[in-house]
Amino acid sequence: MKLAVISCIHGNYEALNAVLSDIDAHKADQIYCLGDLVGYGPQPNAVVELVRSLDIPTCQGCWDEDIVEGLNACDCSYPSQLAEKRGHLAHEWTNQAIHPEVREYLASLPMTLRQDNLCFVHGSPNSQHEYLLPTMDGFAALERVLAAEADVLFCGHTHIPYLRELENGTLSVKVQQPGQSETQHQFTAPLKRIINAGSVGEPRHGRPNATYVLYDTDSTQVTLREVPYDYQKTCAAIIEQGLPPIFAWRLARGMEFAERAEDAGHVCER
Amino acid sequence: MPHLIAISGPSGSGKTTWISQFLKDQSTPQFYVCPGLGEISVDLARIGYRFPWVQVVTEAQLKAVLADLPEQATVYFEWGFHLDLGSPFLAGLGCERVAVLPPDLTESDWHTWADQVVVGNAVAAPANGRLPEIWCTPLTGQVFDPPSLDALLIELTGGAYGQVCRMKGIFEMPNGHAFYVDFVEGLPGMEYTELNIPPWLEGRPRRFSGIEVVGWELEREAIAQTLLDSCLSDAALTQYHQHYQALDPTVDSLEEALLV
Amino acid sequence: MQWAILSGIEGNLAAYEAVLTDIKRQRQPVTDLYILGDLVGLQGDSEAVVRRVRSPQPGEPMPQVCTGWWEEQCFSLHGIRGLPDAPELVERYGLEAVKDLWEAVSRQTVQWLADLDFGFHELDCLLIHGSTVSYGDELTPETPPIQLCDRLIRADANTLFCGRSGLAFECWVEPGALRSTVTTLDQTAVPQEQGQEPKKSPRRIVGVGNVGRQGYQPSYVLYNPGTDQVSFKCVQYGPARGFGAARSKK
Repeated sequence: MKLAVISCIHGNYEALNAVLSDIDAHKADQIYCLGDLVGYGPQPNAVVELVRSLDIPTCQGCWDEDIVEGLNACDCSYPSQLAEKRGHLAHEWTNQAIHPEVREYLASLPMTLRQDNLCFVHGSPNSQHEYLLPTMDGFAALERVLAAEADVLFCGHTHIPYLRELENGTLSVKVQQPGQSETQHQFTAPLKRIINAGSVGEPRHGRPNATYVLYDTDSTQVTLREVPYDYQKTCAAIIEQGLPPIFAWRLARGMEFAERAEDAGHVCER
Repeated sequence: MPHLIAISGPSGSGKTTWISQFLKDQSTPQFYVCPGLGEISVDLARIGYRFPWVQVVTEAQLKAVLADLPEQATVYFEWGFHLDLGSPFLAGLGCERVAVLPPDLTESDWHTWADQVVVGNAVAAPANGRLPEIWCTPLTGQVFDPPSLDALLIELTGGAYGQVCRMKGIFEMPNGHAFYVDFVEGLPGMEYTELNIPPWLEGRPRRFSGIEVVGWELEREAIAQTLLDSCLSDAALTQYHQHYQALDPTVDSLEEALLV
Repeated sequence: MQWAILSGIEGNLAAYEAVLTDIKRQRQPVTDLYILGDLVGLQGDSEAVVRRVRSPQPGEPMPQVCTGWWEEQCFSLHGIRGLPDAPELVERYGLEAVKDLWEAVSRQTVQWLADLDFGFHELDCLLIHGSTVSYGDELTPETPPIQLCDRLIRADANTLFCGRSGLAFECWVEPGALRSTVTTLDQTAVPQEQGQEPKKSPRRIVGVGNVGRQGYQPSYVLYNPGTDQVSFKCVQYGPARGFGAARSKK
């Protein structure tokens, strides 16, 4: 079975359309979406309507959550004060723009989706806000896949697609308890994979093209896809809708609207 | 006789760099003047921070200082590209005239004006021949959120707010240090230099910082707004200062000593 | 330098006094006292414990206190932070517990508790009630090794002292091999052997026992940062004071 996994569309209808055509051309049997349908981009309603009309199983992203729950992301999940101010502008605009039924739909999205040994999340199994960066400590990354009770963990949120294979993970543990003799045991993890689907609508890999992944459940082959689209149309829509022009400038350079947080392990108390 | 030198050339050609090599010398009194950008400018402040023995002269002080120069004094006039080479003021000074010019520039007003031509950075001459505009603002008292400043400088020099051929600034950081940042279109990267001045960890810094942007169709309002959005609030600044004050290095070494 | 680290007084003043007596009796004097949360609880006299913690007697180190699971339940009840109406408390101890905890800890005390730290980073150690993931994170020797390893990475410390489980243990976790290969749009990186060179040294999680939980003997740990040694202490106490009462047991 051939899966297409998309993530982080962020109200960019042009990009979503181009990716869906590319998925058609590759004859995928099933599409999954890892959330962040809205936020920053100019067409949140159209994006949600398209995803719904195609019955694409979707999990909730941090932006979807924030639109439902009210601005909920902690301050420290923004990499800079500037990014935070822009994030708030984008939030306000999106909050005004989206239709009630779109909000209801976003509220209904699950945190996690599963299919056999595959698990789909937005950020990590722990939190929609956690970034699983490819540079994250291998054992910490392994823990996320094991916590998801899966062999393959699909995630998004970082906006840069990657495949990470974790093999031959071993740990030894030595336990001392008062009044008991010391015990020791070994732990070995089988091959686990993290597949980051990149971003359809807000790429950050330095080019304006949309990204997503294809996964063949039979051969376990992973293909990272980069799809050109008419980003100028989205840029024009950003200006037309009164969103900050800097969003358009950054989108056209594959720089994302606001930079990501670097601290992958960061967990804060709301 | 005091020695007066006027230095001119296009933006980014290396005028300040050329002057700086002589300012290292502390054996005779040196003066630095950079007219045309108001009371104080980034260059003036930077020379003052970097060479504390050099007397930087503001426009208001200029007349008095010139009237009373010591015999062995050298005065450097940095004559910005936006100032008229035929200025009667400049002509009246009787300066030695040095032009710092890009290597491929063979013919220009600077050539006719100068006594001496120095080869500087390979900055491109404006293709359309239009002189760029200058926008500058003091930022004294403002302290920047470092990642925001990074983003802002990348955007600004990348052309998000109009085409920028030159940008220089002095920015205060929450750890009390100040940086000089220099960008010249066509030269690789941005140059960051930490200024050798005492860290300011009490309240808002009462010393000059500011930015100067040279380019075409500059979106001044957007630049100003982005700068403001990147500056720390009083509360955030206080928090940072408390944090850095707590990181007093003497405390660390004491703890280490106890451990051993 | 010698640290005493304890957790889980849960309103049991007599048990806390017994531990303090034992601490004062150590041949190598205790220089620092850390309390990893759960000062208050449903039984005993939480107010008295907080008063005692806040006013050490002459010669006793000033306790450094962070919040624990029970404090978080108070914050929830008083609407200071977290979810409202303490759902975790209700789930674990029933609806009755809401009223009991409300009565056991005054608003004034809750406000004092709310200003406490979430944990302490000292030297290469993290001292915390649960883990950096949450105050409720209950780490035990039976916790999956990869999870223990993850908590240590997140703690950014060589030793993680915690108290949620109430158990006393020392668990060394040593990462072995791990081959990681990352493929991006632009390149497939060479596989990296993590845990090889530079070799990751073993790190440990220490459960500091508990002082006042019902049905337990008070226990705590001593830690010597100079030698990096942890020793477990178990304290006898009871209303019938006699020979051997409050004597430290190895």
